[in-house]
Amino acid sequence: MVNDVHVAPPAPPRWYESLFIAVGAPFTAVGRELRGDVALAFAALGAIFRGAAGRRAVVQQAYAVGNRSLFFITATLGFLGLISVYQVATQIQQILPDFSMLGAAFIQLMIREFAPTITGLMIATRVGSGIAAEIGSMVVTEQVDALRMCNADPVEYLVAPRVLGSVVMVPMLSIYAVLVATLAGMALGHAVFDIPTQTFLSLRLVKGPDIVLGLVKAVSYGFWIPIVAAHAGLSATGGSAGVGWATTRAVVATSFAVVLLDFVISGASYVIFSV
Amino acid sequence: MIRALDATFGAVGRGYLALARTVGGIVVLFGRILRAMVPPRFDRDETWRNLYDVGVKSFPIVVVTALFVGAIMVIQSAFYVKRTGATGLLGYGVGFSVFAEIGPILIGLMFSGRVGANTTAQLGTMVVTEQVDALRTLAIDPIRYLVVPRFVTMLLMMTLLMVLGDAFAVLGAAGTADAMLGVDWRVLVQGLLEAHFLDEFFMGVVKASCFGVSISVISCFYGLNVRGGAVGVGRAVNASVVANAAAIFVLDFVIGTLYTVM
Amino acid sequence: MSAAAAPGAHDGAVLRAEGLGKRFAGGWVLEGVDLALHPGEIVGLVGQGGHGKSVLLKCLAGLLAPDAGRVVAFGEDLATLSSVRLAKVREAYGYVFQNYALFDFMTVADNVAFPLRQRGDADERAVKALVRERLAEVGLAAAVGLYPRELSGGMKKRVGLVRATVTDPDVILYDDPSAGLDPVTSSKIFELIARMQERRAGSAAIVVSHDIDRMRAICARYVMLERGRVVFEGGEEDVAGAPRAVSDFFDLDGAGVLA
Repeated sequence: MVNDVHVAPPAPPRWYESLFIAVGAPFTAVGRELRGDVALAFAALGAIFRGAAGRRAVVQQAYAVGNRSLFFITATLGFLGLISVYQVATQIQQILPDFSMLGAAFIQLMIREFAPTITGLMIATRVGSGIAAEIGSMVVTEQVDALRMCNADPVEYLVAPRVLGSVVMVPMLSIYAVLVATLAGMALGHAVFDIPTQTFLSLRLVKGPDIVLGLVKAVSYGFWIPIVAAHAGLSATGGSAGVGWATTRAVVATSFAVVLLDFVISGASYVIFSV
Repeated sequence: MIRALDATFGAVGRGYLALARTVGGIVVLFGRILRAMVPPRFDRDETWRNLYDVGVKSFPIVVVTALFVGAIMVIQSAFYVKRTGATGLLGYGVGFSVFAEIGPILIGLMFSGRVGANTTAQLGTMVVTEQVDALRTLAIDPIRYLVVPRFVTMLLMMTLLMVLGDAFAVLGAAGTADAMLGVDWRVLVQGLLEAHFLDEFFMGVVKASCFGVSISVISCFYGLNVRGGAVGVGRAVNASVVANAAAIFVLDFVIGTLYTVM
Repeated sequence: MSAAAAPGAHDGAVLRAEGLGKRFAGGWVLEGVDLALHPGEIVGLVGQGGHGKSVLLKCLAGLLAPDAGRVVAFGEDLATLSSVRLAKVREAYGYVFQNYALFDFMTVADNVAFPLRQRGDADERAVKALVRERLAEVGLAAAVGLYPRELSGGMKKRVGLVRATVTDPDVILYDDPSAGLDPVTSSKIFELIARMQERRAGSAAIVVSHDIDRMRAICARYVMLERGRVVFEGGEEDVAGAPRAVSDFFDLDGAGVLA
């Protein structure tokens, strides 16, 4: 298809060179990915602060992220609540049968760690792959080019509304997730271990910093998931294989972004604020 | 009012029927896979290629995820342990949460994102470009040729990666405890060993094997049922990872309770 | 509506490629392409599939940045323009995409109105009237409220055509406007292209197609690409003296006309 390029074939790499290549390649790949994500994040923030995201589009995306994930979040976080209480209570039963702190600790841990992070992972899975599939399809069917020919900035048009919608909805879903998991855990504790619901539903460990920490996590997941996913979608090339590949990449990259953000935020808050 | 009720219940009913159809389809596919394996006559080259592919592809992401999971869990445990001052409990907290619960779930989710989504995209593209039909016209059973090798691969790899993941999670936890929390890593490891988590460890590995089965069957199901070109492939990958995540949490609960009861 | 792009000093060509080169991972897809488009003419861009025609169109529209040479539109080098200037220049373009590229989350009417609304100064009532009129012209009056997924291939192509020309642009780029259509619909599409061109005297177009027979009706000049290079440029009367590969391409099934 293309003219022959006449270059001397490169010498095969020596063993230590190929070792360096093998070790370094993932880092350069991650570096390139990160640079693209950060650039897109700045572009999206610019568009948002210019007020370029249409209100209707934002509401639509918020609906797609939030309302349409309700069932999924209910199912996954519900089961997580059940199994967590079951396993921890079984463990406690063997040592000292005192369940008085179980509910309080469970609720606190849900608020500061598991509800936002598992919700973030679920949104990364459902919405991240959805955004990548949508935008990737628009790229390979030239709709993104058509937007640019009509002088509509794809970042303003496609990325900004998704970011706004998700920044609002992921914290909402996280709050909902705390509720679902707590109710599920409480029901199981009552049915299997005879823990009175009043004992379980105790907020005595929950302090302001826990809530702030949970919300900070949820907001950062809500911001970065659509950015990373849209970046994967916009990099799609060539036909059905391209869209599938972009979607796959988005799932891994967004899930990993959630884990990484969780580590950074948890670590920083523990070391700096002892929270 | 009645119209609104009708619409709501109609939507719920339709959603339920669609769910039932999907679950039914997945179970049927599972049955056909088992049936195709009865004389164990699957394509050795395709299986070997898959094993290599999946191993190479998912190894880095599983290792890195495990390191971070260990790190996150030790930070969360430290928050509780700090007040009692019993740093020996750090290892206990990390071991219990990672081995029994969070390790399998997170590694399962990552594996489903990396390998499951990829399988759906691969098979979906083959369906859209009529390669699966081409196999059928050559009298090659796509289940035996395409699905069974992937099933075997994911079952094996998920189990192995879980064992590896547990090791790397402990490494991540020990490193973080030492560097960030000022707790000697030996204290953490000792606490972990004294807690005798063999049961939890095996339960985690059993969970992981079951996730391997569910991820392979679900992603092959969505891949083989792709309709409608490039857009369809993207949508199928989306649906596949969602179903995989839901299945992971349901299975996690079922295995967790069964294992403790038995 | 071409207020965007009127500066005078550009030796008569509205669009010009100079030594244009584009490289993808596999190597050069375009190399040393020179091409000039003058007001009022329709140039046929021909060549086998995968020899760089679509990539050339995208470079000419500034959708892809060239790796060598430059694209001059209305006297300005696209690569040097600020995003604001580039937006102004793009308002003078119309682009008909190979895969229609209709926005699937908008109705037909919104698709067509989109370029008008993006200009910002449009009066909504005038936009609606214009959209309805232009859609009626191509026989799609009834499709106004439909979504792209509800249309047939030929209808989508017509909507794409109307969307690209609704602003009466100075330059229209057609990327294989009859791809995948049956002969009758293809003829209709080419009739439409001719009609769009008549509406605005002085507007220019480049048409990528394999359909030599139908192109004869509207193109005065052809450019043929092979392996990313221009191997022929001129009118049909010049084909006789051109290399074998070129005359073969034009001779496909129209021997009578040439003789």
